[in-house]
Amino acid sequence: MTFAQAAEAHLDDVFGYLTWFTSDRFAAEELTGVTFERALRLWHRFDPDRGSVRTWLCQVARTVALDHFRSERRRTRREELAAPPEAIDVGFGEGLSPELESALARLTAGEREVVALRILLDLDAGNAARILGISPTNCTTRLNRALKKLEEALHVAA
Amino acid sequence: MSQRDLVAELQAVRLSAPPELRERVRLIAAASADRPPRFTWRRVLVVALPVAAAIAATVVFTRPSHERTAVATETLAAQSTARAAVPAPTTGTATKEFAVPSDNGRVQDYGATLSLRIPTPTGVSNAVKRALQITASLGGYSTSVHAGSYGKNANAELTLKVPRAHVQEAMARLSQLGTITSEQVDVQDKQAGLNAVDRQISRLQKQLAALRALPPSDATKLRIAQLTARIEALQRSEAATRRAAHYATIQLSLTTAEQVAPPTHHRHGPLHGVVVALTWLGIGAVYALAIGLPVIAVLLLVYLAIRTARRRREDALLSRN
Repeated sequence: MTFAQAAEAHLDDVFGYLTWFTSDRFAAEELTGVTFERALRLWHRFDPDRGSVRTWLCQVARTVALDHFRSERRRTRREELAAPPEAIDVGFGEGLSPELESALARLTAGEREVVALRILLDLDAGNAARILGISPTNCTTRLNRALKKLEEALHVAA
Repeated sequence: MSQRDLVAELQAVRLSAPPELRERVRLIAAASADRPPRFTWRRVLVVALPVAAAIAATVVFTRPSHERTAVATETLAAQSTARAAVPAPTTGTATKEFAVPSDNGRVQDYGATLSLRIPTPTGVSNAVKRALQITASLGGYSTSVHAGSYGKNANAELTLKVPRAHVQEAMARLSQLGTITSEQVDVQDKQAGLNAVDRQISRLQKQLAALRALPPSDATKLRIAQLTARIEALQRSEAATRRAAHYATIQLSLTTAEQVAPPTHHRHGPLHGVVVALTWLGIGAVYALAIGLPVIAVLLLVYLAIRTARRRREDALLSRN
């Protein structure tokens, strides 16, 4: 598989993962571009025997997203002193009820990430755990906790 | 809403990348086709490591044989210089410059020992025949021949008598029969002893002449007989010494086995080099473990500490909305 084929096949997956992870559609667009630029530089390191292209691209995307979070935290620390943060365009995707979208927005980034990997991208526990750098059991625990939190948020909204 | 319905609704979400992002990624991917193959250390190591291993193996397996050769050469040199101050020959073919001390007309006992290595038992047998032919052609003879074979090895010990005048030629021709492993020359000067015997004979002859000048008596006759017998014995002894000095004694040793290496080396099997290499590898491994384990333990602790700290920072970073 060439890099172009991999990018074409998994662009939506990477974009969806980053959208849910960051809860910021515009940031996700930018980060997706950065992800594929970085993936192109690192493409020679990709080993099909160690995992699928999608898993590898998600690992690259996660690194890019973490860099983004760190820089955002530094920026917001500076700017919150001068002005309150602006509301951002979430847009978790078509087909979501407003209540569920609101509940998703209330999850932490870490919780949204595991939901995105396990449910949106439909990765198994092993691959998702590899991206997150944790054990599969821990990954499943995090997913259950996030789903329970979503359920409670929807129950309260109802 | 149950958790199953919740998951079903989440799975139904369709999230597509916008067209401008898709175009941007296509442009990025298009650039990948123009990129030249990257130079990577992994590719270099794939070639370099087997080459280095092959060189190391060559060094390990060839070094013991070099050491053995060095020991053999040193042994040869030590034997030659200690016994007769004759230049030590290197293993190879005959040495035409074999150093035979000049006699300068003096009577000397000349003895030489020559050890040769022959590749095969058949070669030892042929070399014995050839050595006897050489000796006979130079006017010499053999006083003893002992030959034997055991398995794939054979050896022969010959004691040859060669006229003193042809000893240099004999040594040169005999040394061509095989590879020289050692040689030794012993020269003993007999001239001083013969001169002393000559003086004694002259003194006895003067006494004999004086006795003959005296009036004959029983005592005088007995004394003359004793002196005559004494003089004849001395003359026979002198003649025997001169005859013996006419021939040089050459001890020729022919063998298929290496004689120069220490006996322990003969017991080494074909896998001796591998055993030596594995022994040194084992010693190296023990040292590496003794030194490396604490280092590895410290590095592991540092790695775990860094990873734990990074995860905590990451969790703190992702615990926000």
